[in-house]
Amino acid sequence: MRSFLTIIKLDYLTRIRSYSFLITLCATLAISYTFVPEPNASYSTIRIGDYVGNYNSAWFGYVTAMMSSVFLSLIGFYLVNNSIQKDVKTKVGQILATTRIKNFSYLLSRVFSNFLVLITIVCITFLMSILLFILYNDGFDFEILQFVKPYVIIALPAIFWISVLAVLFEVIIGRYTVIQNILFFVLFSFFLLFSSQDKMKYNLDVFGNKIVMNAMEESVRKLLPAHKTSKMTIGYVLGNTTKAKKFNFEGIDFPSSFIASRLGWIFFGVLLIAIVTPFFHRFNTKERTSSTKTKQHIVSSFGSREVILSQLPKPQIDQSILPLIKTELFLLIRKGNKWLWMVNAIGMILLAFLNIEVAHQMVLPILWFLQVHRLSDLTTKELENDVFYFTFSAFRPLRRILISQIIAGVILMIGLAFPLLFLYGCLLDINALMFILLGAIFIVFLALFLGIFTQTKKLFEILFFFITYANINKIPVFDYFGGISPNRMQILYVSALVIGFGTMSFLKRRSDLRR
Amino acid sequence: MKLEINNVSKRYTRKKYGVQNFSLTVEKGILGLLGPNGAGKSTLMKMIATVNKPTEGIILLNKNNIVKDANYMREQLGFLPQDFGVYPNLNAFEFLQYIAAIKGVGGSGLKDRIEKLLEGLNLIDAASKPIGSYSGGMKQRVGIAQTLLNNPKIIIFDEPTVGLDPEERVRFRNLISDLASQSIVILSSHIVSDIDMIADTVAIMKNGTLITQGNRQDIIDHVEGKVFEIKIEDEAVSEFKNQVTTLSTARYKGKTTIRYISDTAMSNSRPQKATLEDAYLYLTKN
Repeated sequence: MRSFLTIIKLDYLTRIRSYSFLITLCATLAISYTFVPEPNASYSTIRIGDYVGNYNSAWFGYVTAMMSSVFLSLIGFYLVNNSIQKDVKTKVGQILATTRIKNFSYLLSRVFSNFLVLITIVCITFLMSILLFILYNDGFDFEILQFVKPYVIIALPAIFWISVLAVLFEVIIGRYTVIQNILFFVLFSFFLLFSSQDKMKYNLDVFGNKIVMNAMEESVRKLLPAHKTSKMTIGYVLGNTTKAKKFNFEGIDFPSSFIASRLGWIFFGVLLIAIVTPFFHRFNTKERTSSTKTKQHIVSSFGSREVILSQLPKPQIDQSILPLIKTELFLLIRKGNKWLWMVNAIGMILLAFLNIEVAHQMVLPILWFLQVHRLSDLTTKELENDVFYFTFSAFRPLRRILISQIIAGVILMIGLAFPLLFLYGCLLDINALMFILLGAIFIVFLALFLGIFTQTKKLFEILFFFITYANINKIPVFDYFGGISPNRMQILYVSALVIGFGTMSFLKRRSDLRR
Repeated sequence: MKLEINNVSKRYTRKKYGVQNFSLTVEKGILGLLGPNGAGKSTLMKMIATVNKPTEGIILLNKNNIVKDANYMREQLGFLPQDFGVYPNLNAFEFLQYIAAIKGVGGSGLKDRIEKLLEGLNLIDAASKPIGSYSGGMKQRVGIAQTLLNNPKIIIFDEPTVGLDPEERVRFRNLISDLASQSIVILSSHIVSDIDMIADTVAIMKNGTLITQGNRQDIIDHVEGKVFEIKIEDEAVSEFKNQVTTLSTARYKGKTTIRYISDTAMSNSRPQKATLEDAYLYLTKN
């Protein structure tokens, strides 16, 4: 038992002792600040018709716990779905495989360390909820239990379930990160849709929000005339500036059956881990790879040949960046599975043949998002592949390599959007053309900026996902490609971000190179 | 061609140095860098290769300060780091084309030069296969090929023989000897025999400082006449080891042969011809 706990503790420590985790915590602080809007804010997060709750302890506690349950479930998965892969990459897994640790114990230890990572983030939102209560003080008493109760009963089981899913997906489809991401998103959407069904029982709601939503709706219903109904909305709704009416929400006494169901979800998660344990590779990954014929290990010795220096043609100085752009494009195109190019081709066909508005609003952001794994290591691949000794000691690396990476990234994104660009070109819609080009540049610069500053690809992956999710939900502020609100202000706003990201990235990379 | 390293230090914290007050001048030929793990060899090489900057001191190449003008060094540098990587999705030809572009080298002869390098290193048959599928020794040879792309005048090899089998090591040593006729070659290795056979000058480092430098014989002179061998019973080994600096031990049929270093020979000892390895072990142990 002690060694089991030590494994969890050490894995947890290695994951939180990173710069990217610090950035994640900062991002969590910023996001959780928006969970309960400032009284005069022009957006809402949880609203029941025209009503929001009085800013008392219960409202802060329950609203932030519910928001954490939904949003951390979504983002948290992408944050922790590499715990086994990390052991494969660092080759620690090969050492673990030769120890006495049982597969089930190992997988469970990864579930718990995922859980601890997510708990750390939940703690930040918990502290922020108390801080917000103090900031927006409306004269209500501070009741700590109203904060603790919803977090323990709603948020924690939800993120435990996410920790289980992350390990489950890694065991079953560990080699296919893109499929993992897509499948999880489908599953998440299904859970979310399922929990919004009126007839669904509380006990089947993995996020645990249904019971609170109903209690809130019930409280509002009592204030309304009998014929009026009001549905609750959860998530960021912008432009919702009509002055909301207030109702009093005092929290709920969770029925014991509901608490049992939350524990049930945890036990069900552990049971699922036990079920998939026989499928765990126990780091015997090479053998599996060779059986699929995808990789052939080539061995050849020096042989009898020799390099005869006098016979080598004299090299010439050539500072053109074209060969660098070509290689960067190769690297982008060859990344990931070949079948993803089939999906890209389908996406491009849809761009050409669907209604132009639908193609622009829905297909383009999804098609671009499918390139997330290609773009996420645009500027971190040197570090990931230990090629940085060559690139950082290259001839004018800032001007040549960084620029070639940007150009290659933009070419890829524009290439994918080409059918749509062609159609807009035929329609002489310059505004739409400019916006799509700007969108392509924006995403590449976002990848550049986050890659250079965090030196990992994770934050970009999560943020790009979040932006795409927001765009599919038509939140105008996240529209970087002109699909939702193609106005001039938005162009200026996205351009300013591009300039900001670009400038900061160049300055940071220059300072890195100087050091 | 002259490389001058003047009072170079790399300081990590107030008291912790990777390299401290290192001074050395190198001209055409092979400089062998020896030292235990953590001696600062890689740190020094990275500073010469302009990957890292020294916190103190200057490095001059033909009187040009490369700490300020890194591009002067980079134009004529070939560097093989100890733990370099490759892009597994590229094949050897594409990877070398990429590195050539990074180095600012191109022109009509580049393709031919890459092909000849691949041929000479016996990689031509696998040149169109992704490097991700190569064995460790083949990747190391791709690394060696990339150092030679720009006809370098200064070549730095950090632990180049790691992953090479004995035959490959021999061929690699021949290549280095060839290179040394027109360039400065700086070579670090844990394998003393690699340095012993080809280095014109040997420098030994310990704890970030230069302990000694000179040609092979200068280094061996430190221990000449002080190396002995003795055969003793197994039970007496640990007590004997406490009295002298042991270089090596070998056990055979209940007796242990100890090669040791001492100003005076112990009874029943036989004097031995000193080697570079003896000198290296003596200098780094004391």
